[in-house]
Amino acid sequence: MRVVIYSDVLDLAKELIGLANELNAETELILAGMEPDNVVGVDRITLYRGISPEDQELVLEALKQAEADLYLLSNDRRGRELVGLLAHSKGGASIVDATSVKVEGDRVIAERMTLGGKGVAVEEAKMPAVISVMAGKYKPPEEGKSPEIIEKEAPSIERRVELVDKKEKPKVGVPLDKADVVIAVGRGFKKKEDLKMAYELAEILGGVVGATRPLAADLKWMPEEVWIGISGVRIRPKLLIVIGASGQQQFSAGIMDSKVVVAINNDEKAPIFEVSDYGIVADLYEAVPKLIEKLKR
Amino acid sequence: MNIAVLLKQSIDVQELMVDPDSDKIYLEEAPTKPGEIDLNAVEEAVRIKEKVGGKATLIMLSTWGSSGKRKREAREAIKRSLAMGLDDAIFIFGADGREVDTYVSAKVIAEKVREIEANLVLAGEGSEDNFTGLLPARVAAELGWPYVAYATSIEVEGDHLIVTRSLEDYEEKVKVKLPAVISVTQEINKPRIPKLMEIVKAGKKPVKEEEFNKKHESKLKIKSIKVPKVERKKVVIEGDLDEVLDKLLQALKEEGVI
Ligand SMILES: Cc1cc2nc3c(=O)[nH]c(=O)nc-3n(C[C@H](O)[C@H](O)[C@H](O)COP(=O)(O)OP(=O)(O)OC[C@H]3O[C@@H](n4cnc5c(N)ncnc54)[C@H](O)[C@@H]3O)c2cc1C
Repeated sequence: MRVVIYSDVLDLAKELIGLANELNAETELILAGMEPDNVVGVDRITLYRGISPEDQELVLEALKQAEADLYLLSNDRRGRELVGLLAHSKGGASIVDATSVKVEGDRVIAERMTLGGKGVAVEEAKMPAVISVMAGKYKPPEEGKSPEIIEKEAPSIERRVELVDKKEKPKVGVPLDKADVVIAVGRGFKKKEDLKMAYELAEILGGVVGATRPLAADLKWMPEEVWIGISGVRIRPKLLIVIGASGQQQFSAGIMDSKVVVAINNDEKAPIFEVSDYGIVADLYEAVPKLIEKLKR
Repeated sequence: MNIAVLLKQSIDVQELMVDPDSDKIYLEEAPTKPGEIDLNAVEEAVRIKEKVGGKATLIMLSTWGSSGKRKREAREAIKRSLAMGLDDAIFIFGADGREVDTYVSAKVIAEKVREIEANLVLAGEGSEDNFTGLLPARVAAELGWPYVAYATSIEVEGDHLIVTRSLEDYEEKVKVKLPAVISVTQEINKPRIPKLMEIVKAGKKPVKEEEFNKKHESKLKIKSIKVPKVERKKVVIEGDLDEVLDKLLQALKEEGVI
């Protein structure tokens, strides 16, 4: 069996190599515009120095030219965008958000969250198939075969998408999905300045601040990489404190793997209490400062 | 501009009942509603039409069965989109979501896009129930058109679009040659609430209803859906605020998380 791996993020590509090694496959890693620093455990690396990850059409063409039974991509937005395009042009199946991948004979079987987090689907397809795998599910191999490296020229195709401008978004530091303590804030906060409380609480507990989608995407009070949920990050901290968020399913789907969940909300009927261990029905403007005060003592 | 808007009826996941003990998922009982982000695509189509003229057609392939209830819910969603300003609609029913994967759906939808001679396809980045975002990509591949996902703004410039899109680390602006397929995010606009008059008028707009006929085989099979078992204590701590917070901190210490 042949597996082709692609990601625009080298660390995510390495996780996919970890998965491919479990599948005992012949593996090829494709890299666009990046160097294969400390990559082990693959048979071959095909380097396209002339393509950058934002050249979606060229990356797609490079992937199309690589023959494989299974294509493993990272589940970030660039990866997900490619899954359907590649699968359709290969006449194969497509799965995104996979949390586990297995191969049985000529079939691939993957698990993924569905129904807004209320279900976990087991999906099966005859290969070829294209699958994007959630980050953090597989470990990069620490040792393994050293790959043969082949360099290729960018494929020449007619371009229809042209990058005009690119702006980097502000960064937050510790990625949310790796934090042990997360304070998640929602629209219960009335002003951006009020978030100071949440940051102070996070600092005392050694955690980071995340948000619901509206706070990051609509109000833009926070960078987009900190929004939690089906369309954002899925977190798994030891302690999660959700403050002023209603707990709509699209948000709650992203917090299921948390160990202990605390919710502070002034509406006793808020759905967040249904998915929390400890609920506090209170005005966050009273509860949070008091909590900080007690923790400081 | 001749726009095709893809609207999916999504299971209302907030209302969906599941039983973790028996893994039973009450899909049939759950209501469906138009994918919220698909409504952003509807709104964007109307705005583009208002700026540059043209026509916008809704294409809906219903995949959650074709019971009377599902058809009623779908027709309601179609009417809402027409009231928002789309010109007409194609409603394909009779497909069973368990048998129809994105490969088959894309084939069926692309055929309709060709039929109406659209040069722009708009869809939401995902719908509440599955959120895969696979369909618009596959439609693009089927049509052989360029595809740009996660659009937060679209401007028409002759036979090109200027699309701003949002990725994890970057915001990108790209120039896309038409015809093209674009998926939009929830932040691109605020879908309008149609006025009563528009709803009345929408009832007179043409809706072509067609039965799904199975010409293609799915590539993907759903073997099972289980209900994830998340045990939560669901303790609401009672008392005055001081007391409540003390109890909370005590509990968190016992849990070993602070
Ligand atoms: C396809 C799709 C995907 C989506 N993906 C995501 C996603 O990934 N992540 C996400 O978060 N959302 C997502 N959403 C949006 C989601 O449906 C909700 O709209 C959103 O999560 C609600 O955010 P919120 O809880 O901050 O706001 P609200 O729902 O407005 O809740 C605010 C809460 O604060 C409480 N409150 C108000 N004042 C106070 C106070 N003084 N003290 C204490 N509590 C107070 C209120 O009781 C209320 O419960 C998605 C939606 C769609 C359609």
